[in-house]
Amino acid sequence: MKRLLLAAGLSLTLGSASAQAQTIHILMETVPDTRYIQDLLPEFKAATGIDVEMEAISYIDMHSKLVPQLSSPSGSYDAIVVDFYWVAEFTQAGWLMPLDDLIKKDGLDTSVYLPALMNLVGQVDGTTYMLPFYNYSMGIIYRKDLLNDPKAQAEFKAKYGADLALPQTWEDYARQVEFFSRDENGDGKPDFYGTVNQGQRGDCICMQWSNYLYGQGGKYRDENWKATFNDEAGVKAVEAYRNDIAKHGPTGAESFCFDEAANVFGQGKAYSFVTFNILLAGFNDPASSQVVGNADITSNPGGGLNGGWGWAIPNSSPNKEAAWTFLKWVESKDVVKKRTLAGGAPTQAWVFDDPEVVAKRPEMPRLKDLVATAQEFPTFTYTVEFVEVLGRELNLAVTGQKDAKEALDLAAAEFDKLTQKAGLQK
Amino acid sequence: MTLILTRDRLQRDDHRFGWVMTLPGLLALSLIVLFPLLFTIFTSLFDYTLLHRRHDTFIGLENYREAIFANYFAESLWVTVKFVTAVVILEFLLGFTVALMLNNITRFKDIYYLILLMPLLINPVVVALIWRMFLHPELGIVNYLLSLVGIGPVNWLGDVRIAFWTVVLVDIWHQVSFMIVLLLAGLSALPREPYEAARMDGASTLQAFVHITLPLMRPVIMVTLLIRLIFAVKTFDLVFIMTRGGPGTSTDLISYFIYRSAFFGLNIGQASAISVLLLVIVLVLTAYLYRYMRSLA
Repeated sequence: MKRLLLAAGLSLTLGSASAQAQTIHILMETVPDTRYIQDLLPEFKAATGIDVEMEAISYIDMHSKLVPQLSSPSGSYDAIVVDFYWVAEFTQAGWLMPLDDLIKKDGLDTSVYLPALMNLVGQVDGTTYMLPFYNYSMGIIYRKDLLNDPKAQAEFKAKYGADLALPQTWEDYARQVEFFSRDENGDGKPDFYGTVNQGQRGDCICMQWSNYLYGQGGKYRDENWKATFNDEAGVKAVEAYRNDIAKHGPTGAESFCFDEAANVFGQGKAYSFVTFNILLAGFNDPASSQVVGNADITSNPGGGLNGGWGWAIPNSSPNKEAAWTFLKWVESKDVVKKRTLAGGAPTQAWVFDDPEVVAKRPEMPRLKDLVATAQEFPTFTYTVEFVEVLGRELNLAVTGQKDAKEALDLAAAEFDKLTQKAGLQK
Repeated sequence: MTLILTRDRLQRDDHRFGWVMTLPGLLALSLIVLFPLLFTIFTSLFDYTLLHRRHDTFIGLENYREAIFANYFAESLWVTVKFVTAVVILEFLLGFTVALMLNNITRFKDIYYLILLMPLLINPVVVALIWRMFLHPELGIVNYLLSLVGIGPVNWLGDVRIAFWTVVLVDIWHQVSFMIVLLLAGLSALPREPYEAARMDGASTLQAFVHITLPLMRPVIMVTLLIRLIFAVKTFDLVFIMTRGGPGTSTDLISYFIYRSAFFGLNIGQASAISVLLLVIVLVLTAYLYRYMRSLA
């Protein structure tokens, strides 16, 4: 009897709750794309009556905030965004809800996404767990006013016997970095920098150094998930990175993350910055930059790091239905286009070629190429731990506390241990 | 006879009343302190990870063995020892000096108090973020001010030899007021008479400090040092935001090490084991310091 009463009471409260306005909670990162979507939320509310509460926090706090929520049977987030290198961990642990049935039921077309991104933050072993949200594939952001300056072009030709143009090889780029580093007051240290590094221990240095590795033709692993980044290309990449910090970059770049490095570039003190494509919009925004109109982006000659985020519904989500309604809305053509026009970094192929979008953002075709040529960072259950290990060893090497080969060997040994633990090495 | 009986009963009633009054507090404490403590010790003996959240694989002391032999565990412990020693000693010396100076002031004491307390009121995460901006070698205000007097850019957080001391300095800026406030409270509670007697006997200020202030202040100093020491071992936010343990491993405090094994390595069992080790170290240290200070008194 008691149980019956309880059940009746429960169904009453549940019934009245669903009749009331619903609110879904989403944990987001404080990045431009989050802001663009927040601006569009009133449209979602008008169309569905669902309120969306977005908790936007900085990247470094996200993983530690998500994990306890996801691993408990009922969490407080209805939908989440997943960074590419958490994907294997989250899916292995069974924290994300497969979306295939919902996609089929609603006839959603997932072929609109760029394949590189669908593989990265969409599907895992044939099951769709996420809808790709935005891409942050890395490229070279550079000063086009300097590259196209006839005086600089003449000087460059005289010095290197080659044209100053968009780099076709990593050596081309390294030469430009050296060429544009200038010591104007003659104190032996450059005061205009060829490049800015984000060498802080942790993911900052890992992400940026990956581009140096690909630039030297290096790869992280072989088919059998054995580490290969400690080969000759890896060592060369560490030495090039160390050389850039010491000779061509600002003091303290070994302690910068991307925001500190971006400030240096945004203040007009550097020629180039190997970084996430999403930062370009900020460099052309007068509110945050001194180089408006002069910043542009090109692909890393060896392919840049492929990065992105996906929308997902955790199994611990209290309101999966409303979360799915939101996902469908936020990845609808209309919203994707509006977000891209505002400066966002889309994942659906068509929007890169949309005439209206290209008219406003001429870099779009180049961004599409950037994503298409992007290289893989190893994603597996223990990627987050590997990033910490590699970040530590790289930082030890670039701050001169360890030999490059020795540091990479140790990171490689730990990589092999982790991939074995994940059951990937045969 | 009746009188004694009544007194006994009164005492018993008192006793019972005491228990009733403290019980809710004791219950709450055992819930938020004792339970997590026991849970941590229990978890440290199992292969308990965030991917596998079950206490079903008992592995004894394996987590402890793995932690102790983990790469850079010893370095991290050593950095923590250096850090705790540096901040406790420096903050004590600075704090005691300022407290002595403030103790002699009568005018505007409240205003000094207010100014000194301000850093303490700021959340450590905010402190770290603010200082990270101030210390930007290229665009920060600290290097700008130094450049005005001809000092070249200092690599505050990127130079292996400097970064550790930068974190210590920021911690001093943030926490020294804690020492000042506690020591000042102790100083202002000291009796006046011994000083007057000493002055009559012709003792100098230094003599009065060494022979009266220091001995009388010993209990307060002891408590202050102990509390600060325990807090310093737990320092996390500053290195998490400012350095991520770098450059290299030069600011890799043990609390960040634990955080990494829990949230990056997902290995709650191992993180628990290191936490238990840390607890034991802090307990031993505290007991030793306590006895040492008592023996001086």
